[in-house]
Amino acid sequence: MRNRKQTITRRQFIKEGAQDAGILALGSAAFATSAAARAASAGNDVNPFAYDVGRLRKTDPKLIQYEQVGQFPSPYPEPHRIAAGPEGRFYIAAGNYVSVADRDGARVSEIALPGPARCVAVAGDGTVYAGVRDHVEVFDRKGQRTAVWESLGKRAWLSGLAVGEKEVFAADSGNRVVLRYDKSGKLVGRIGEKNKERNVPGLILPSPYLDVKLAQDGLLRVNNTGRHRVEAYTAQGDLEFFWGKPSMAIDGFCGCCNPVGLALLPDGRYVTCEKGLPRVKIYSKEGVFECVVAGPESFSENWQKCSPSDCTTGGLDAAVDAAGRIYILDVVEANVRIMAKKKEAS
Amino acid sequence: MDAKPEPNVNRRQFLRDGARAAALTGLGGLLGVLAGRATAKGTVWQIDPQKCVRCGNCATHCVLEQSAAKCVHAYAICGYCQLCTGYFEPEPNDLNTGAENCLCPTSAIKRTYVEDPYYEYTIDEALCIGCAKCVEGCNRFGNGSLFLQVRHDRCVNCNECAISKVCAGDAFVRVPADHPYLLKTTSHGA
Repeated sequence: MRNRKQTITRRQFIKEGAQDAGILALGSAAFATSAAARAASAGNDVNPFAYDVGRLRKTDPKLIQYEQVGQFPSPYPEPHRIAAGPEGRFYIAAGNYVSVADRDGARVSEIALPGPARCVAVAGDGTVYAGVRDHVEVFDRKGQRTAVWESLGKRAWLSGLAVGEKEVFAADSGNRVVLRYDKSGKLVGRIGEKNKERNVPGLILPSPYLDVKLAQDGLLRVNNTGRHRVEAYTAQGDLEFFWGKPSMAIDGFCGCCNPVGLALLPDGRYVTCEKGLPRVKIYSKEGVFECVVAGPESFSENWQKCSPSDCTTGGLDAAVDAAGRIYILDVVEANVRIMAKKKEAS
Repeated sequence: MDAKPEPNVNRRQFLRDGARAAALTGLGGLLGVLAGRATAKGTVWQIDPQKCVRCGNCATHCVLEQSAAKCVHAYAICGYCQLCTGYFEPEPNDLNTGAENCLCPTSAIKRTYVEDPYYEYTIDEALCIGCAKCVEGCNRFGNGSLFLQVRHDRCVNCNECAISKVCAGDAFVRVPADHPYLLKTTSHGA
């Protein structure tokens, strides 16, 4: 007997079910196609307002006159500065240590500091001057601490050191000044502060990368990063000359604040290090651009560090050995690259 | 034969209780929807500057003819640079206000000399189209003081913001209407 309550046959049920499933599948497919198309269109859109610096990331090969002949890792993470010392040794301020390495990067010794090492300089007799944030500590050639100099206060941010026969110069980015000490640690002078009467324009430092080097001519070389130039001062604080210009081009210094590091070749020419567009270049004694040691393409991680969210932590530093080889400290990749003139390397 | 036991609920009771439950459910749903709408009215769209990737979509996808997203300037963290990478083309001929040297496609940034070597940069919002070209330049090489924000004197607060649907950095967020801006206070920080 047929069930009266049954209002649909099995065949009808199956047929209508199949129709509904078909419509559902069609709708799903249409939605999926539309969503995929939308996603693809969003992803493939070319930004008509792109800030294109791709060209600046590649250096004209003709300008690169150095090649890498070696590399070794920084002994500790977060390196800041590298300095050359006697006996062909290099001193790296990284972590809470100043690490000593030979010319091939083999670790010789290390000196522990009470805080992150910011900068280092080494005298001819092997005495090590290490800068932590607010003061300088002195160590003999065996690494024994011999003095701790007075704190420069809360605003201090030491970022560079240079040592001469009788004096030590400390670059304080926080206070925007280069401090002149005698070797006992007595503060005897301030260099680079704005002074109209002495025609000193003052140091402009958007980021804490003030560096100082003592050249063979007896003058200090200081990087005035906000003015994109290198300035030469006497130990008494007189501004003698300066060179450099703000420019993205290879012969200038780019971004808000460059160069962030200085080194001097044995013949007095300059090695400059930049961040943002990470590059290391050589300038003549008169400040004329000569060649590139390593361009942005050599520092892919350093470049990425400066883009897109933060450019305050990148940077490079350099030191030079007696033979003119350039040791580049990459503070992002935490390594040291040894660069030699191409002719010499081949 | 035993008598059939009386059911606990008769058909009439069942229908009455069912109708009541359905009405209550509907009322609850209605209240939920109303509450949701009330909450939605309390929020507005904003760009999280930490997530923004300067993709250019703000300029091209807003429903308004000229985008409600505009460049804003945190003067407190600006370096007042002579070579402002948010103002100048990557390779300018010279550091002056010549149109060929300027990055902004609508000349919406004004450069004013302050004192050697400082310059102040001001955004003309009437000209700014929110393309973020200057924001990219400032963030890439500078302090990151330029960033995009949805300006609420222009934004019509669409339920489904057209820019948010294509935002490459997923930077569009709803924020309380009484705190409608996400301002930067430190370099490269929120």
